[in-house]
Amino acid sequence: MSVTNAENRRFGLAGYMNELSLLSAIVILYLVFGLTANGFLSFPNQINILRDAATIGIAAWAATLIIICGEIDVSTGPMVAFISVILAYLLQWGTPTVLAFALAIVLGGLLGALAGALRAWFDVPSFVATLGLWSALRGLALFMTDALPVSIGRNDIVDLLDRPFLGLPPAVILMLALFVLFLFISRKTAFGRSVYAVGGNPHAALLAGINVARIRILVFAIGGAMAALSGILLLSRLGSGNATAASGLEFDVIAAVVVGGTALSGGRGSMVGTLLGVLVITLIGNGLILLGINPFIQQVVRGVIIVVAVLANIQAIKRSRAQRS
Amino acid sequence: MQQAQSAFEARPVVASLQGCSKRYPGVVALADADFEMRAGEVRAMLGKNGAGKSTLIRLLTGAETPDTGTVTIGGEELAGSDSTRAAEAFAKGVRVVYQELSLVTELSIAENLFLGRWPRRAGVIRHGQMEQEARAALDSLGVDLAPGRIVSSLSPAERQLVEIARVMIGSPRLVILDEPTSSLAEAEARKVLAAVMRIAAAGISVIYVSHRMNEIRQIADTVTIMRDGRIIETVPVEGAQTGDIVKLMLGAEMDANEHIQPGLRGAPVLELREVSLAPKLDRISFTLHAGEVLGIAGLLGSGRTELLQLIMGLRNRSAGEVLVGGRRVDGASYRGMVRRGFGLTPESRKEEGIIPMLGVDENTVITDFSAVSRNRILSATRIAEATRRVIERLQIKTARTDTPIGTLSGGNQQKVVIGRWVHAGSRVLLLDEPTRGVDVEAKAQIYRIIRELAAEGCAVIFVSSEIEELPLVCDRVLVLRDRRIAEEIAAPGIDQDRLLAACIAAA
Repeated sequence: MSVTNAENRRFGLAGYMNELSLLSAIVILYLVFGLTANGFLSFPNQINILRDAATIGIAAWAATLIIICGEIDVSTGPMVAFISVILAYLLQWGTPTVLAFALAIVLGGLLGALAGALRAWFDVPSFVATLGLWSALRGLALFMTDALPVSIGRNDIVDLLDRPFLGLPPAVILMLALFVLFLFISRKTAFGRSVYAVGGNPHAALLAGINVARIRILVFAIGGAMAALSGILLLSRLGSGNATAASGLEFDVIAAVVVGGTALSGGRGSMVGTLLGVLVITLIGNGLILLGINPFIQQVVRGVIIVVAVLANIQAIKRSRAQRS
Repeated sequence: MQQAQSAFEARPVVASLQGCSKRYPGVVALADADFEMRAGEVRAMLGKNGAGKSTLIRLLTGAETPDTGTVTIGGEELAGSDSTRAAEAFAKGVRVVYQELSLVTELSIAENLFLGRWPRRAGVIRHGQMEQEARAALDSLGVDLAPGRIVSSLSPAERQLVEIARVMIGSPRLVILDEPTSSLAEAEARKVLAAVMRIAAAGISVIYVSHRMNEIRQIADTVTIMRDGRIIETVPVEGAQTGDIVKLMLGAEMDANEHIQPGLRGAPVLELREVSLAPKLDRISFTLHAGEVLGIAGLLGSGRTELLQLIMGLRNRSAGEVLVGGRRVDGASYRGMVRRGFGLTPESRKEEGIIPMLGVDENTVITDFSAVSRNRILSATRIAEATRRVIERLQIKTARTDTPIGTLSGGNQQKVVIGRWVHAGSRVLLLDEPTRGVDVEAKAQIYRIIRELAAEGCAVIFVSSEIEELPLVCDRVLVLRDRRIAEEIAAPGIDQDRLLAACIAAA
């Protein structure tokens, strides 16, 4: 509550500028699609939107920490697919389901930590380190499966993950629970605040005694673990491990974080912003499909909307700052 | 003075100021200055920080317009407006080499010499012509470097030479060098000095800003001493006594009434034995006691910052031992030293001190989150309490505890950076230029804070390039010169004359 309120008090209404403009973007999207796209406002479609949001959201919470820390992770999509494949094989071999899940998350965390270590200890730019992972993991998953789905057969626990609970898909519940957890981490823990410090000024953070290398490795490890979690959810949704799945997910994730107002230069950003950013990206995707727009043109429209949203957001923040001073 | 001019009297005047004054809000930077440079003359400029050297140089280069008076270069008055003067002065042959190197490291020497003015035909750079002219410029300085070499492969001295060669392109009349050797070791500095003498031999006048008396004696004909925005005197270097020059620089300074009376010293907390850091520091030994403020004086580039970094484990010493509380520490990391109760405030507050987007509160508690946590969860109340304690203790002026630190004044930012070590309960504070870029009131507060911390048993190392503040804060001052501790002066005998003389030259 404290640091949170502090941030808001600090800027008065201007502190909400980012969130307010995103909220109004969401309202506008609901108005436009609600009036033009058939069935957009129906209950099943709302659940669909939330389910799609979970795919981006869980990875986006971690990506927010990574980007606030001044880094970038482009390996998300291949990581999700690779983990789903590994998990499918583990289950085929008869590994107990819960153990297989745990192994998958640990493996994701380790792969993320590898990218983090390359950044923290060897000064490999995180874009390059994760680009390497991006290519290697996709290639490995395709090689292992010949690009064919790896079926897991019947598995009660996996099925359970795709069965609505209290009307909501478990993925959505998980996404919201993790959101609360990440909100808490980013605001109320020494680790979370250190991420802001390292992203804001790594030299100063180092001289203040913060273990900068550890922070950098940890954010990437968390990123890997969250991608693994998405991989588990993917597996439960498709019933198979799939090396070609989650293609381009990393760009949706980064777009959601950036649309949410987190600075790519590091040091500034918020989980609430990312939550709204995830909704914006998901609504655009869902609405355009319902409108029956040519899928190639959908990509064009999405690209334009993302850039315009960020542009408008930056302008709004600039204006409110200028008024303050 | 008459003698000084006589050697050059016959030569034409290259550049001059007539009755120039320049004031900034609240301060007279230059008062009624008359200044003259003749062809082939090498003039050293001496003066403390804020004496007016930079302002005088900025008038000559056209970077500033004088409030009154005129600037004449090559017999013609600079007449342009604020925006065109610099180009005008450049066209008339004024060239400057600043302290910070401005080379593009991944381009060749020749490309750097002609940066932005590459000779070209139809958009294609004429490399042959460029390298030929670069060769000529380098030769004129006696520099033996291939023009095609990439700058990143050069040593610091060679880069400085390239920087100087750049000003030789075209037809310079007056070359101004601002502490060109401050970052160089002695052997390397010699190459730069040799180049300066060649420039003068070619009939170009040189203004050489430096405080290294041995260099000044080697290359300068005359020396101009400035103080408080005035030109005090211009004297020939030959026959000038260092002691006299020091007196001219300091003037009739304040008396010793504010001087520190040394108190009781506590136990030794830090000891350096014959510690070296090639090529900057050579066999440095001293002991720091609890309750003591130890000053480190020395010119720019004398290794003051490196000494602090070495103590903190940010640099690896090449020889010697460091003892903390009587125990040897070998290869201790920075964080290891922090755990031992050490804290460092860096010289460049903006780049390495503050995290501008975070509040005063987070910039303070960053050194110890556990003290403001409950069950490993940050407590807003504890953060606010701890911050308020530091704010009161260090008299930090801020609207609220969570105001972004980037919006505070420099002095208050500095107090937060010191305050974060107070929060961490550090017992040994290493303060690197804590009063740089800080207003007078905040300076006095920082002095007081340092004395209070010492009175409570902290040991403080206080690095400063402002000679006048050392007697106000320090129990003892070590002077670094030529890689060694040149002199140790203890309170109450710390006076500016002695400090300055020790900094700039051998006695």
